[in-house]
Amino acid sequence: MMSAHAENIPTPAATPAPVGKVADKTAADELDRDSKCTRCHDENEKKPILSIYQTAHGNKADSRTPSCQSCHGESEKHLSGKSEAPDVIFGTTSGAYSPSEVNEQNTVCLTCHEKDPTRTHWQGGAHQVADVACSSCHVSHTAHDKVRDKKTQPEVCFTCHKEQRAQTRKFSHHPITEGKVACSDCHNPHGSAGPKMLAKNTVTETCYTCHAEKRGPFLWEHQPVTEDCTNCHTPHGSNITPLLNSRAPFLCSECHDGPHRSTNPVAGSAAGTQGGLTAVPSENFTGRACLNCHSLVHGSNHPAGALLQR
Amino acid sequence: MKTRNEELKVSALVLAVRCALMVAFALPLGAHAEEDEAVALKHPSNTVEFGALYSSQNSAKFGEYNGLDNEGFYGLGGFDVRGGKGYDSKDSALRWQLNGTGLGTTSRTLGGSISDQGKWKFSAGYDELRHNITDTFQTPLQGKTGGNEFNLPEDFGAINGNNAFPSARALTPNQLGAFHTEKEYTTRRNAPISASYAFNPQFNAQVDYNHLEQTGAKLIGTASQGGINLLGGSTGRAEAVNIIMNPTSYMTDNINAALNWTGDKAHLTGGYYGSLFHNDYNSLSWQNALASNVSACSGPDCFVNNTMSTAPTNSLHQANLSGGYAFSSTTKLAGGFSYGYNKQDSSYAATGIMQASGEPFEMIQGGLPASSLNGQVETTHGDLKLTNQSIKDLTLSAGVKYNERDNRTNSDIYNYKNTADGLYTGVNTPYSNRKTQYQAAADYRLTKGQTLRLAYDRDHLRRWCNGVVGGAECLDSPSSDEDKIGLSYRLKAIEDVNFNAGYSFATRNADFNDIYQANTGDYDENVNSRNKLGFVAYPYDSRKQHVMKTGVNWQVTRKLDLGVNGRYTFDDYNATLGVQKGHSAGVNVDATYSYAENSSVSAYWSWQNRERDLRSGRDGDPLTAPTQIWTNQLTDNGNAVGLLTRHGGLMNGKLEITGDVSYALDETSYSTQVPYLATCGNANTLSCGTLPAIKNELLSFKLTGNYKVHKNGKVALAYIYQKLNSNDYFYNGQQFGFTPNRVMPTGLQEQDYTVNVVALSYMYNF
Repeated sequence: MMSAHAENIPTPAATPAPVGKVADKTAADELDRDSKCTRCHDENEKKPILSIYQTAHGNKADSRTPSCQSCHGESEKHLSGKSEAPDVIFGTTSGAYSPSEVNEQNTVCLTCHEKDPTRTHWQGGAHQVADVACSSCHVSHTAHDKVRDKKTQPEVCFTCHKEQRAQTRKFSHHPITEGKVACSDCHNPHGSAGPKMLAKNTVTETCYTCHAEKRGPFLWEHQPVTEDCTNCHTPHGSNITPLLNSRAPFLCSECHDGPHRSTNPVAGSAAGTQGGLTAVPSENFTGRACLNCHSLVHGSNHPAGALLQR
Repeated sequence: MKTRNEELKVSALVLAVRCALMVAFALPLGAHAEEDEAVALKHPSNTVEFGALYSSQNSAKFGEYNGLDNEGFYGLGGFDVRGGKGYDSKDSALRWQLNGTGLGTTSRTLGGSISDQGKWKFSAGYDELRHNITDTFQTPLQGKTGGNEFNLPEDFGAINGNNAFPSARALTPNQLGAFHTEKEYTTRRNAPISASYAFNPQFNAQVDYNHLEQTGAKLIGTASQGGINLLGGSTGRAEAVNIIMNPTSYMTDNINAALNWTGDKAHLTGGYYGSLFHNDYNSLSWQNALASNVSACSGPDCFVNNTMSTAPTNSLHQANLSGGYAFSSTTKLAGGFSYGYNKQDSSYAATGIMQASGEPFEMIQGGLPASSLNGQVETTHGDLKLTNQSIKDLTLSAGVKYNERDNRTNSDIYNYKNTADGLYTGVNTPYSNRKTQYQAAADYRLTKGQTLRLAYDRDHLRRWCNGVVGGAECLDSPSSDEDKIGLSYRLKAIEDVNFNAGYSFATRNADFNDIYQANTGDYDENVNSRNKLGFVAYPYDSRKQHVMKTGVNWQVTRKLDLGVNGRYTFDDYNATLGVQKGHSAGVNVDATYSYAENSSVSAYWSWQNRERDLRSGRDGDPLTAPTQIWTNQLTDNGNAVGLLTRHGGLMNGKLEITGDVSYALDETSYSTQVPYLATCGNANTLSCGTLPAIKNELLSFKLTGNYKVHKNGKVALAYIYQKLNSNDYFYNGQQFGFTPNRVMPTGLQEQDYTVNVVALSYMYNF
């Protein structure tokens, strides 16, 4: 997960000055320049411009604190005539002015934030190449940036990831909409070396962060389990508990047809007597089916557990 | 006694207050209000919320993650308090925060942080979550949820586990009386602590630690031991199934420590990640009453004592190095390297099971090679990526990734008795794999607003086992190569319309070793992973995959936004038997209309479909292709619609109403065709045809009104209605009189609910 301490990581003084930034000034000096803007952009603004002073970007005693001009540019034309836009407009939708090009917006943010360890893989990452702006997810003029709050972060991510939004409302799901698991617990939206922007290097490593009991190594391993949890599970939500791609015995039949009766076709027989079956239902097909007996599918550490039963 | 400086300070303060008062009285009231507003915007707003909530129904599913699993009243409590000189002073960057949510439920959080921004930060928290699993599970086994030993009442007696119709295999009144309901849940408690310190603008250190404690239990299937003689000539029924409560008595300590360096052109992070998992139990034991040739008996001699392993205590220590270097403003290199050591040496569970007769049943013949596994896995990761933007409008990137799981655990021989009492020789095969990925991509900006991306990936996967005893094969697919090419296009057609489309094609060629024998013992069909000739497990099969995506977002006016996107995938597998093909599709439509400053209405619809075709053989063997072929299809459909409205500014801006209504319907069904068997639809077999769909239908409605009772106070009244209709054949085989003859009933019920919740709270801002 992205560190909550990110704002505390200093940026070197030698960092190239961002748009309009005046080098070698104290934070207080920089903030004094804000008054050029706050003369007009005051408490009467629809957008709470002044709320930025509640954020890390408005901490006046931190020498790295930017001024309005650091991010929005000197905006001379805007100062001389209000019909002209400031040099850099953040956002993704048009308001009074059209937003600046994504690359232009992001360059401003990355001037200070690119060298953060969690953004090492931003360049060439899925969000960067898809032209996602920092301001697509972050709102900097508020003390409650939704994407940095575990409870509200998913609604920001779901703005684009709508399929995942629907999946998190399925019968079996991680407690994402309940605010107990955030997208960033597993993913690094700023880019990573893992697949699907996972925070860790592999799928299994990511899952083991919380599910360390599955890590083993076990005496008797289940090969696909050691490679990729998503061979059987789907992480965002499923109609089949617990977050399964399919229901046993059909799930198991996708990889096994040999052992005992799984060569037998299964259909209504899985619904048992209540489903119209007149013979004795099979424990291989009904209920947990294969997992009635082979329940240690993540691996067994019992010397007699070769068949993942003990 | 006051010092001179203090006196001066007081004097200055008094002067300032006097001046302020003079200015205050001289200014019009409107200016006061504006100043107050400006001050309020610049300073943190603290909130304290308290109230009560009533939930109308007991439901583990409704309360699965929200803590509202019981009917009744709950307290509502939360707070968010922030402060520190860092909000006012130009000399101090100190800020702190304390917060808490859900304090009246088992889904509570507490947290706090303090920082001198740019210098140091410390935070600590507590996060609790009770995962309610079911409140209808019944068992005759005695033992606490969270414990690892479950016994039957001594007078429970044996149960006929032979081929009798379940309805005729009636449990005695005494046995029925022993069943009792156990609520199944797990509770996780996270306690994170973080600290960071900046030595100077170039160097800083950060430590994140989390202690995770889990209690409770999850249900697990168990296979009872066969070949145990019981009182009166009965025999314990092999693989007799009891669903029992597997304790989650876990502790996981994760620590992530890093030292970060940032220079003009480069940055580097070196760190350590440790994850220590501890399970209080290494085994689980239970008694089974299902027997063959059952005779009337009483006392513990009617039962088979069993044991199985639980998740073993293990550890991971990982060293990490990552960083980036900017050759120029247009050429950048990023990369990382990790080495991890994962160890598991938890002592084995007992292999001898003491039976009531006093005779132990030994599951291992000839002794164990060691009392624990001494399992060791080394993980290695490396990645390197170069990006270049030196040609106008063209961004090039190339990278390589390497991930290896090298299982260095010893391979040994285990002569074990299986649950059917057969003696087999098993050889453990520690699996290793290595994946190397090469990636190259070019993004070209055709015109302003038009971008084209071409990407190529090549993945090479190799699998092996180290030092398998006897040199036996351990894998049916030792390696595979996958090539993927992708093309995507983005267009900003006009100012407020964004369009994107993409297509990728991947082809995976997998080596396949069909003489591989599963090393679990000399069972029948012990070739091709004990599958029929031609069958390949889908993760190890050659495959072609097509993925198409498209979407458009249109800001029609400043008030109206529309969005539509879709995705389609198609997988085509190569094997004669096994998964043949599959496809998935999804469409999402969204619209938001913001009709006033604080008022909007949004609607969405999501549709998802997934299908999979499986082909399998009834006859034949690992060396002869089957001729009796049956097929099975999975169909999974999901629909979700929702409407969210927010209406603010009512009653002179004092009232805001939000409403949220959503409906989701998910259906999963399986259909099987058995063309070689005309009688497959016979009620005695039901081996062909379609299963009733697994259907979950959720309707949710939430209406909240926030009324500002005074400048700093709000009252919130919320009403929530949620109804779940669930139909799932899974529960059929769990019911008394309907279980398979080797399964102990649990009476588990579908988790339908209709819950009404009313909540009233007061929020004070200061």
